[in-house]
Amino acid sequence: MKRKIRITNKTFVLTAVIGSLLIMEMVMANTIWSTKQTGSATEEAVSAVSSFYLEAMADRRAKIITNQINSTFDEMERALVFIEGEGASSQEELREAIGKVKLLLSISRFALVDEEDIVYTQYTTYTGKSRHDFLAEGKMKGRTISTVTLYDSSRQLCLAIPARDLFIMGKPFKACFVQLDIDAIVDLLAFDDEDGTYFGLYSGNGGNISGTQLGPVILDQNILEATKGVAAADVWERTRKDFAEGRKGSMTFASRDGQETLSYVPVPDTGWEMAVLIRDSVIQDQIRDISEKNLTASRNQIIFAIVAVLLLAVILLWELRRMAAQRLEKEKAASQAFQEMANRDSMTGLWNRHAYYEREAAINQELAEGKLHKLAVVVCDINGLKYVNDTMGHAAGDRLIKDAGAMICGHFTHGDVYRVGGDEFVVLLQGEGYDEMTDVIRELNRRAEANIREGAVVIAAGYAVREQGDGRLHDVFDRADQMMYERKKELKAMGARTRQI
Amino acid sequence: MRKGSKTIHLFLGVLAAMLSFHAGSSSFPAAGADETVSSEHTERMEDSASGRGMPSSGQADPAHSEVDFEHELDGYEPKKNRYNFYFTYKTVHPWWDAVALGMEEAQRQYLKKGITITYEYMAPDAASAEDQKERLLAAQHGAYDVIGVDVADEAAISPVLDRMADSGVKVMTFSSSDAAGGCKRIAYVGNTHNYLDGANLTQALCDRLGYRGKVAILVGSAGAPCHEDRAKGARDTIEKYPDMEIVATEYDMDSVDLAYDLTMQILKDCPDLDGIVCCNMSNPVGAARAVTQTGSDTVIVGMDHDEEALHYLDEGIIYCLGVQDCYSIGFDTIQVAVKIADGNLPGDLFPEKTDERTTIIYQEDAQRLLELLYGDIS
Repeated sequence: MKRKIRITNKTFVLTAVIGSLLIMEMVMANTIWSTKQTGSATEEAVSAVSSFYLEAMADRRAKIITNQINSTFDEMERALVFIEGEGASSQEELREAIGKVKLLLSISRFALVDEEDIVYTQYTTYTGKSRHDFLAEGKMKGRTISTVTLYDSSRQLCLAIPARDLFIMGKPFKACFVQLDIDAIVDLLAFDDEDGTYFGLYSGNGGNISGTQLGPVILDQNILEATKGVAAADVWERTRKDFAEGRKGSMTFASRDGQETLSYVPVPDTGWEMAVLIRDSVIQDQIRDISEKNLTASRNQIIFAIVAVLLLAVILLWELRRMAAQRLEKEKAASQAFQEMANRDSMTGLWNRHAYYEREAAINQELAEGKLHKLAVVVCDINGLKYVNDTMGHAAGDRLIKDAGAMICGHFTHGDVYRVGGDEFVVLLQGEGYDEMTDVIRELNRRAEANIREGAVVIAAGYAVREQGDGRLHDVFDRADQMMYERKKELKAMGARTRQI
Repeated sequence: MRKGSKTIHLFLGVLAAMLSFHAGSSSFPAAGADETVSSEHTERMEDSASGRGMPSSGQADPAHSEVDFEHELDGYEPKKNRYNFYFTYKTVHPWWDAVALGMEEAQRQYLKKGITITYEYMAPDAASAEDQKERLLAAQHGAYDVIGVDVADEAAISPVLDRMADSGVKVMTFSSSDAAGGCKRIAYVGNTHNYLDGANLTQALCDRLGYRGKVAILVGSAGAPCHEDRAKGARDTIEKYPDMEIVATEYDMDSVDLAYDLTMQILKDCPDLDGIVCCNMSNPVGAARAVTQTGSDTVIVGMDHDEEALHYLDEGIIYCLGVQDCYSIGFDTIQVAVKIADGNLPGDLFPEKTDERTTIIYQEDAQRLLELLYGDIS
């Protein structure tokens, strides 16, 4: 058997509220999830972009060093040609030629090496086999790059090239070399150095060559020693291998003030690694700012949406209640109109017999409960209605009825008037109507008697008050009705028309 | 982020704490400075926690705990604006390369004052008194204002120097070895306390061994005063302790390979060897290689700052090293040479012997010195 689902207003409102809440919750959850996803994706993207950015920065600097090295090598080749052209025949002349080369190349140290590993500079001549690593047997095969550490720990980049078929002072020479101050190279690299971005040159075992500081954790220390225990063990080990084997890579580690990311690329042929570190990355900060602004905007949108939905729900609920109330009122008015129609006499507009019976039942209830003490019933009858109907038509009869109803109502202003029959009316009096009843009856009678003479409507009225022992209204009605007949006779005697006339 | 000159000062500060060279090493004493050799020239990095005592030959003076690595020329005004020198030393070796760096710094500073200094700085691949003699005899005919020599063998070279001096050549000695007493060379710049260095290193060894055990002494070139003096200091120190015995004394002729071979032989002959005193720069490297290869627990003490030796020190194979201030030796040598070239003699302007200090360093100092001297460059 199919069960019928009854939908009430309450059900509707509850469904609307719960539905709205669920939708809001879903929207919020979806927004939060989306925000988190976006944040996570942004972080990943930022990390990738940062690494790419850092690697690009490192690459750019490494290329500058490479260009500087290649350019110097080319100049050295030209210097050898120049020296040969000078045709120095003594050590003095050779020193002078070397001095010219230094001026031309703008470098602090240019030297020639003969076949006995004796080094000739502008001011000194010395046995240099132990001092210059590239002079070790078998190492000088072509362009050679090495790092020289001076006794006071300053470092230079040594570039050497072989000299073929070069004879000076009758001796064969095998190479020339220059030593570039690494500080000068570092100066070349110190461009577009944004806040929070650092760079440094490192040897294969992490030793700091440039003397620059790489952020607040590494400072100017050996990069591998400084990050050991700070970076994750596997990341650190991979970095150590990258440095040892001249590979590029990146490393991220946490510092006291946040995350630090560094990228490193090998500087070709030098055995160096160029490292660039970004701390609380400028990019990351900027993107984070944008992200936070978006998040704030999303939050505001959510709050706005919630407020809007709540407002809408309140308005809808108010309107719903309002509509329900209006409908109720309308139904009530219709019901009252129907009630009126059922209880009113269409001709006189007075309460009809049906209304009288309803009222009688209510009064009987009150009497039974002992709540009603002051009650009077007046029974009125139109004299001569039959006569008017027969002689002047029903329209005149109807007018007589209406005149009679108006007259009764005009007298009993504090009572309820009912038309209970064709020419019979009942007036129920309580309160003030009860108190002034005697005067009103007297006036009504006087009027009736006067109307006999004037040929107007004549009403015979009998009345009775509730007495001890009256259990029902009808008991009082009977006595009033009896009195009305008596009065009717009396009025007949005074000349009032009756059907017998 | 460039740190500029602060970095240099930082390194210098570290070096100062480590080496404890005396502050006046690069400047000359005031007028009337005496020519006697101080008995307190070898300092050591103090480590009270280790319980090591100071060497018997002297105490580290806190007043001399810093070194002015930024050497500056003294106030002497050279009489010429061009000088040409010739220097020869024992053998091609990084120790003398460090001396050369000090010389170059002095040359640069003179150049800034408008004085051009040129020089030759030459040595044979292997130490040889004969080679040195030939170089000196050749150089005396060159246009040199002063000829300087790190004496390879005082017996062989001192007479040569005397003859050169007699013929009007201005001769000086420098670096680690002076000529024999009474030699007519004008002045000496370098280590004047080799005996003490040998004694102090050996004292550290004796302390470590508990004043008992068998010890071998490795010396550099036979006849090289600095090496011989250190060996004598070592012998004299060991003789103070009746439970200590010298089982061998060998010369490696400044060759690491020979030092290795000699040590292997000594360990073969005396497997229960307790310690080795190494009197030059090649000795400790060769000895450490042999000790590492044989797995011996022999304690090694030695001289100088060879990179390989510093790594052995770092690893604990070598117990301690006596590090000389080569840089200051080179710097002061040029200053003295200029004064000698101008006809000055020891006295108010410079002493007959300009002393440079030696510092004994231990395992805990090795990394810093490696970084300082060799830059931790792989």
